[in-house]
Amino acid sequence: MKKVLIVDDAAFMRMSLKSILERNGFEVIGEAENGEMGVQKYKKYNPDLVTMDITMPEKDGLQALKEIKAYDNNAKVVMVTALGQEAFIMDAIKSGAKYFIVKPFKEEHVIKVLNDLSKV
Amino acid sequence: MAGSYNNEPLLEMFVFETTQLLEQLEQIIIANCYEQENINEIFRIMHTIKGSSAMMNFKNISMLTHKIEDLFYFIRDNKPPNIDYSKLSDIMLESIDFIKLEISKIENGNKLDGDSSPIREKVDNFLTIIKDFNYKAEAAEEKTENSAEKAEEDSKIQNDVLSNKKKFKATVFFEEDCELENIRAYTLINDLKTIAEDIYYIPDIEKSDSAEIIRKDGIQIWFKTDISFNDVHSILSKTIFLRNMELIELEESNESNQHINSNIKQFHTDVASSMKDMEQNTHMLSSNQSMISVNVAKLDKLMDLVGELVISETMVTHNSDLEGLKLDNFQKAASQHRKIINELQDIAMSIRMVPLSATFRKMNRIVHDMSKKLSKEVRLEIIGEETEVDKNIIECISDPLMHIVRNSIDHGIEPTEERKAKGKPDVGTIILEAKNVGGDVLIIIKDDGRGLDKRKILDRAKARGLMNRPESELTDKEIYSYIFLPGFSTNENVTEYSGRGVGMDVVAKNIGSIGGTVSVDSIPDKGATITLKIPLTLAIMDGMIVRIGNVSYTIPTLNIKESFKPKENDVIRDPDGNEIIMIRGECYPVLRLNELYKIKTDITSISDGIIVMVESEGKYLCIFVDALVGERQVVVKVLPKYIRNFKKIRGIAGCTLLGDGSISLILDIADLITE
Repeated sequence: MKKVLIVDDAAFMRMSLKSILERNGFEVIGEAENGEMGVQKYKKYNPDLVTMDITMPEKDGLQALKEIKAYDNNAKVVMVTALGQEAFIMDAIKSGAKYFIVKPFKEEHVIKVLNDLSKV
Repeated sequence: MAGSYNNEPLLEMFVFETTQLLEQLEQIIIANCYEQENINEIFRIMHTIKGSSAMMNFKNISMLTHKIEDLFYFIRDNKPPNIDYSKLSDIMLESIDFIKLEISKIENGNKLDGDSSPIREKVDNFLTIIKDFNYKAEAAEEKTENSAEKAEEDSKIQNDVLSNKKKFKATVFFEEDCELENIRAYTLINDLKTIAEDIYYIPDIEKSDSAEIIRKDGIQIWFKTDISFNDVHSILSKTIFLRNMELIELEESNESNQHINSNIKQFHTDVASSMKDMEQNTHMLSSNQSMISVNVAKLDKLMDLVGELVISETMVTHNSDLEGLKLDNFQKAASQHRKIINELQDIAMSIRMVPLSATFRKMNRIVHDMSKKLSKEVRLEIIGEETEVDKNIIECISDPLMHIVRNSIDHGIEPTEERKAKGKPDVGTIILEAKNVGGDVLIIIKDDGRGLDKRKILDRAKARGLMNRPESELTDKEIYSYIFLPGFSTNENVTEYSGRGVGMDVVAKNIGSIGGTVSVDSIPDKGATITLKIPLTLAIMDGMIVRIGNVSYTIPTLNIKESFKPKENDVIRDPDGNEIIMIRGECYPVLRLNELYKIKTDITSISDGIIVMVESEGKYLCIFVDALVGERQVVVKVLPKYIRNFKKIRGIAGCTLLGDGSISLILDIADLITE
């Protein structure tokens, strides 16, 4: 079972993602509510996959992505983003993010992206 | 789509989180402090609500928050100098109110029928105004940038002609509704960079309409690479959300030149870095970090279980089977056990405690709105907002507090001219203070307005027939307290805010219902002070255990005025045959609990039993019982559902377990008196 770390400052989003993931055979091994905690928990749990929100307090998703990538170049991070944040995603892709999910997300999209990424 | 997520816990979480965010937002707006840090915060809050509401398919909320997010995105990145902050605050408050209203509809299970388009239009207009101003300043800058870009492009084209690697053209279509096609194209191009060079593509993915174009025509990419057609094909086929793709190897070495027109743009590696860098968001509510939110029902259950644990502990350690046994080790262990249970009880209680800060800060909004509409200048000072009380109690004091604050602004604080004439500071002050005193919390609302009008209160009390003693015997404080009596309102002109047909009597009643009291003090032209004394919790209460036959009842100590042994001839009967007792020249009705609840007892003669005089909302009742058992702290439990659903029993508020494991019903004094 693939282990996923969810990083999002909105509890609602974490809950939504968690229920989708768990319904589809992923194990959510941790949740973080800002980039800083996300990086810490990445180091602690070494998850197979990370879903990373971009707009977060303390440390945003881009910075957290960079730090996770610096710690583990093979880290598989999916950026979670909303329409209107194109510029940030481009930044994220440059920093090594492979995939992204667009909010409001659809269950099948989330699963497709995570499955795809875990095969890479 | 969102419908599939529309389950209870998610909805609950949405309501909870959005409400919290709105509160936070409201505080920022009311503080009227639009510093960079706060603008980031507002942006983030709007962003979060937008995302969540879109997931829940609450379109009217998500569309509005999207607009506001755009607005603050612009403000954050462009720092326009011409912002009318007061107007911005108005729009924001209006938006907050709109969302709050919609949230309350969600909570009540109503349809979301609010139309956010008028507010969205306001946001749009506001954005247009500040953009217009910024545009002029930027126009010149952009011009020079464009020409530089063009020169660079031209030189790339020249280079391309000289190169002789294999050239390809790929046209890629993405799946329908995968969204952000332009960014998906960007990802694809970024991947291509590892195997190809001189990459050109249509359309320009930085343009806002590029996603639409890609949806219709696909993204067309020209590139050069030295790997084979098949390899390129297999790499590109791995693109996520790929619908179909057309890959052609181009023969002519300068074929690509023909396709290069002004629409084609070289892929700059630094394209993203030219985008606005995201602000480093250092601001954070650190208190959020190690907190979790728990359903109150679970806390109620916990409190309940702990209460039962306390009782079962007594039942074990004081078990009658142990009587007369010498059990040194057992006693030692039992005393340790008791210590831990007491600690557990304290912790369980403290979990339910929440700081008053959120309730207090709500008052900021009231002060802001009212002072604006009444054209009075009022400042709210908050002291001791970290003071904690039980969650259930917090819910009951919000409305009374709001009412008192409204009253202060409406009737207490004078208009600015009047204040000037009196030599007071122009700006009126209301102090909202909370502090712990013993087992209670005091909430003090103090204003520096004109104070209560003693004469007016007396006249009104007389007119209403509320005076029970001659004027000369009343202290000032007693006179002021008349405002809490039902049906009292001194203000002839009922205003939009504090009128509404409810007066301070409702405040007194609400506070009374949670076992609290209200008092008032006032100094003419210096201001009025209203003090609410509220218990820390509703879950534990001081009660007097009384016995009738072999049944015990608990009377809340708060309601008890006195208890005494009556004499046979103290009791008289009124013309309807009801028993009445004379005490110090006053008549009080007598209630025999054994008759009300049909309990067999040997004590029927009034002189054999005990009278407990109780009071609620200024009304008295003398309850006749067999005997007093003693005063205890009891854990209050509601009656089980199957009993509540079956029948409403007069005068019963709940029940509690006594140390011997027996059940004692808690009397609802207010209910007994009114019926």
